[in-house]
Amino acid sequence: MKKAMTLALGILTSVGGFFDVGNIATTAQAGASFRFQLIWSLLLATLLVIFLVEMSGRFAAVSGKALPDAIREHFGFTFWLVPFAVLTLIHLLTLGAEIGGMCFALHLVTGIPVWVWAPVVAILTWLFLWRSTFSTIENSTSLLGLLTLAFVVAALLHHPPTGEVVAGMLPSLPHHDPEKYWFIAVSILGAVIAPYLFYFYSSGAVEDDWDPSYIAVNRGVALIGMGFGSVISLGAIVVAAMVLAPRGIEVSDYHQAALMLTDAFPFWGFALFAAAMGIACLGAALEVALSMAYTTAQTFGWNWGEDLNPREDARFCLVYTGAILLSALLIMFGVDPLKLTLLTMAINAAALPFVVIPFLLLMNDGKLLREHKNGWLSNAVILFIVILSFVLAVVSIPLAIRGGS
Amino acid sequence: MELVRDVLDKQLIDREGTKMGRADGVVLEIRPDGPPRVDSLTLGFTVLASRLHPRFGDWFARVRARWSVRKSGRYRVPWSVVEEVRQHDIQLAVRALDTPAFDWERWLRRHVIEHLPGASK
Amino acid sequence: MKARKVSLERLVGRLVRDPDGRRAGRILEVEAEIEGDDCLVREYRLGAAALLQRLGISAGRLVGLPFRHEPLRVPWDQLDLGDPERPRLRCTVEELRARQPR
Repeated sequence: MKKAMTLALGILTSVGGFFDVGNIATTAQAGASFRFQLIWSLLLATLLVIFLVEMSGRFAAVSGKALPDAIREHFGFTFWLVPFAVLTLIHLLTLGAEIGGMCFALHLVTGIPVWVWAPVVAILTWLFLWRSTFSTIENSTSLLGLLTLAFVVAALLHHPPTGEVVAGMLPSLPHHDPEKYWFIAVSILGAVIAPYLFYFYSSGAVEDDWDPSYIAVNRGVALIGMGFGSVISLGAIVVAAMVLAPRGIEVSDYHQAALMLTDAFPFWGFALFAAAMGIACLGAALEVALSMAYTTAQTFGWNWGEDLNPREDARFCLVYTGAILLSALLIMFGVDPLKLTLLTMAINAAALPFVVIPFLLLMNDGKLLREHKNGWLSNAVILFIVILSFVLAVVSIPLAIRGGS
Repeated sequence: MELVRDVLDKQLIDREGTKMGRADGVVLEIRPDGPPRVDSLTLGFTVLASRLHPRFGDWFARVRARWSVRKSGRYRVPWSVVEEVRQHDIQLAVRALDTPAFDWERWLRRHVIEHLPGASK
Repeated sequence: MKARKVSLERLVGRLVRDPDGRRAGRILEVEAEIEGDDCLVREYRLGAAALLQRLGISAGRLVGLPFRHEPLRVPWDQLDLGDPERPRLRCTVEELRARQPR
């Protein structure tokens, strides 16, 4: 039974890590500007992230350690410092984007400006972390996360042309705006293969007390969990292609994305979009804030764990509190949520080499992983990811400047 | 036992099983008569800063002296306190709460957490 | 020479030379043994470059290469740490190589 519940970890990581504000933004843009042509980018990203998540879970199950813990212990502080600094930056920016997403969702249904909601959202997120245990967070966000299926339902209701959808699953060259095309392709990869995602997953596995008997379940969770997020994202691309593209609506603002569900659900389209976005962003915010706290606490050897009472891991709690505060300030001072999201996706892509390489080295350590260390397929995939991440790192920032504006 | 691989950067556990930091540094005593011995383990941001560059360590020590709740930037765990060096952590014979390693935890507990509602799950 | 304290993390990575001034390698690892209440240093291991060596183990195995250079083992009494910034061997590199265990 407990193993069945581990599916909840997979779905949480999926709702929070896979389908979050970054995904909503990039899939809406992809569908609106290029219809089904960029589906291959989503599929490629999904495949790669399934491998990463499987490796991360396997590592935690066999070694009993989460990634930041293992990397500092194995490679030393000096080596870990750069990935740690990069991860911290990504955590803060992403948290800001997710908080911005929640604020926007609330603005959509109330009309009250985005920045006003920032303190409310910050306190709500903080309270959730302060009071809940890890399993409560897992289960509640997974359950609420099922709401995002609205995108899949809407996609089916639109009866998309199957031929075109399938054609989009293969890479193709754009007919117009090549810079924008590749920018969105890179952003989708950056949004899905978020560095914090597989770092969080390893800490989550330790929170759930995984041991080597979870290795098989882990494969299933990686597949189903990430698969779930991918299906939702696919739904979003299809809906954007069917609703926004024909009207020539390009998504340069979240308000335009919000129109997506209004065709399929005339009465509650706006509210449904807001609810789905709000929940996805809440799941992500909790995950990112926790991930930052896990990474920092493990780096310095502090006590950590969402199941502990705050008085037992005060510094751990201080980290997520501070992170939420700093990120909320970004939104409070009027930083545009969509622009922040797109910037963060570009930085995600650029930062991948720093966070994947230590992981690659670790996954081949025979002493830690014994017979469970990477086989040739996993190594081939992760090497591909490393090479891809270098390519992305080089092109993402220029593309963001030229293709994003 | 290899000091860099098995001791440095290792998680330290107190006698109640609580994590109390990492071995940020290891001090060796070079003796005129006999092999060098491991004198102590050191903990603290100052130690970490020095590992990057000695100047960072000095700078950090000055900043810390002004703002910190801890009396010294470098907490020293004598080797005699080490009970066991295991594969994934080092077991110490002290209680974290009794040591400077937990200065910040104690401070946060008293001045912040006690004043916030709902701190039990 | 009276007893002095040296931090391990400052020692690691330092270049060691022999009495003729020849480079013997950098200090990569310190092997120690517990004897009663003390933990005593038995030998030092020298090699090319600390981080590269540490990473090299993982990366090399990744592409199937065997470990390229065997580290040079220095018994504790052959290393003079009077000046921790400039550790010196007490014997020459050749003598050390000759004494390496198979």
